[in-house]
Amino acid sequence: MTRRISIDPITRLEGHGKIEIFLDDDGAVEDCHFQIPELRGFERFVEGRPIEELPRIVTRICGVCPASHHMASAKAVDGCFGNECPELAHKLRDMYYNAHYIHSHIAHFYALAAPDFVCGPDSEPAMRNILGVVDKVGLEIGGAVIKARAMAQEIQMILGGRFTHLVWCLPGGVAKGCSKEDLEKIKPMVAELYDFTQFSLQLFRDVVLGNEGYVDLIVNGPYTLDVHNMGLVDENNAPNFYDGKVRVVDYEGNEIVKYAPREYMNVVAEHVEPWSYLKFPYLKERGWKGFVEGIDTSLYCATPLSRLNVADRMATPKAQEAHDEMFTTLGGKPVKAQLAQHWARLVEMVQNAETLQKYCDDPEITGDGYRVVPEQITGEGFGIVEAMRGTLTHHYTCDENGMCTSANLIVGTTNNNAPIHMVTRRVAQHLIKPGVEPDQGILNMVEMAFRAFDPCYSCATHSLPGEMPLEVQIVKGGKPYREFRRNC
Amino acid sequence: MKTLLIGMGNPIITDDAVGIMLARDAGAALGPRPDVDVIDECSIGGLNLLDLVTGYDRVVVLDSIKTRDGVPGTWYRFDATDLRETMNLRNVHDANFATAMALGRSVGMHLPDDNAIHILAVEIDDNVNFSEELSPVLASAYDELRDEILAEVCRVLDGDPVRETPPAAAAVGDEPATARSATWR
Repeated sequence: MTRRISIDPITRLEGHGKIEIFLDDDGAVEDCHFQIPELRGFERFVEGRPIEELPRIVTRICGVCPASHHMASAKAVDGCFGNECPELAHKLRDMYYNAHYIHSHIAHFYALAAPDFVCGPDSEPAMRNILGVVDKVGLEIGGAVIKARAMAQEIQMILGGRFTHLVWCLPGGVAKGCSKEDLEKIKPMVAELYDFTQFSLQLFRDVVLGNEGYVDLIVNGPYTLDVHNMGLVDENNAPNFYDGKVRVVDYEGNEIVKYAPREYMNVVAEHVEPWSYLKFPYLKERGWKGFVEGIDTSLYCATPLSRLNVADRMATPKAQEAHDEMFTTLGGKPVKAQLAQHWARLVEMVQNAETLQKYCDDPEITGDGYRVVPEQITGEGFGIVEAMRGTLTHHYTCDENGMCTSANLIVGTTNNNAPIHMVTRRVAQHLIKPGVEPDQGILNMVEMAFRAFDPCYSCATHSLPGEMPLEVQIVKGGKPYREFRRNC
Repeated sequence: MKTLLIGMGNPIITDDAVGIMLARDAGAALGPRPDVDVIDECSIGGLNLLDLVTGYDRVVVLDSIKTRDGVPGTWYRFDATDLRETMNLRNVHDANFATAMALGRSVGMHLPDDNAIHILAVEIDDNVNFSEELSPVLASAYDELRDEILAEVCRVLDGDPVRETPPAAAAVGDEPATARSATWR
């Protein structure tokens, strides 16, 4: 008789996810499904609306990546109007987006990732949060985190007028520029944010790399995956979060393809499983081959670690140093240890801060040529950015009146659906053995597998529930015999 | 006493917009007041919300809630001392609101006390489908609801305490809260 363990819903995860672990008679893991039991249909909602409204509407899909959707949507809308966006507008958008990245990565690292390492994977759930981190590492950390986030947010406010649910990007540019006064306010905050990225890297060295057990868990634990990698790169194959081409390298580090946004349908296809509403993207040319790794796989990750794995270099010098340290420590590219996602976010934050510094020194950034009003409707647009949690694609068409006739979104987390499913199964199989009763620590280590991806299902399935507590149900002989609840 | 009035929700997820609509109506009815700021559309939680409430002595949140067997159009008043889950106050991408507030207080931020964070949560019917219209059942209840909520907001601003013990666990999926009734509102 198969036993079933349900982890439902998953904590520290935007949207509703559910893990079901099926045990055989001996108590070993037979299978594990990472399920998304929701479906909404956002694309249909926007059909028939003026295409220029979409960048404002899509920010309401989710409160976690609103700027990512806004940027991808704006680029797709630019395409529908003939791509007349001036270079200054792209710079300003990119500047905003790098500040947004820092804001988001700080939250993930300190509120979601750090508790597992600073407090320990098997620590009391009540203390496995940012308060536990502050308790262990010191009160000044909490103050520094709050201050850094506030500064990243303030930069977004200054540039875009608001930090969430932007209405800033318009067809052909942005609604406002960056004045010299604005820039003078931004500069000191950027300097502090850069320092904070260095502080965060040092904290990672001290707390994680300084603990042999954690390094062993990252490098040799069950959290590895042999699939391909995807990420947006610039003309030098350095990571770019706002613009560029999408590069895919195989599990051994060889380039498979590099494609422009308008070519995405030639490269990516989506598979459907009956047990999840969320689709499973794969590389179209290789065909769907199931949940397999290595030489036969057609699956890929699109994550912070993937972005570094596909890049030949970083775009900025200090980020390059941080990148080199990481890949030297972890044995070179491509790194397959998914817990290294947390380190990759810190490396990305360095590039974000240095990119902001670059724009602060750019004499053109305070110019006033930040918008060209489009004069033509060309009918189709593609926008790809790197959302913090993966490559985000928006593809729109509109009629001659500029009314939306179709919209297709492939969101960051969707790319990673199959890898999350697979690594979660692997960790469950590794940790839950015959005779070993799952406890909070083991279940948290299963959660760590997907938490590394920073998944967000509110837009992946287009749903927006509030957070709910973790429920764990162990089912034996078809009947529940044990239940946990915890509020994280 | 400086108060922040927040309309919480998503304007395109059917009844999830009710907090936003109520905040707009309440803000218009209150008119300009030096002691009250209104943010009529907010859908953030966790650390982001912490940034928003910093510097205020009191916060009034108008939000939606879904409880098992709840009657759409009824509403609940409670404060952060017994805060569980309205639909939007938490953001699981970062810390939950209670943790964020505890963090803020630990580092000395000027934040309202838990008993000065008032949540007026409206029981809703549909927060699943995309729509800019309320569900029929909530739409028909809205005018009366708006008047009641506005009166309650005024009571909060006048410093009235919560008059009855709110449900301890009015959370999604929990058993029906025994204190929930028309009289409780």
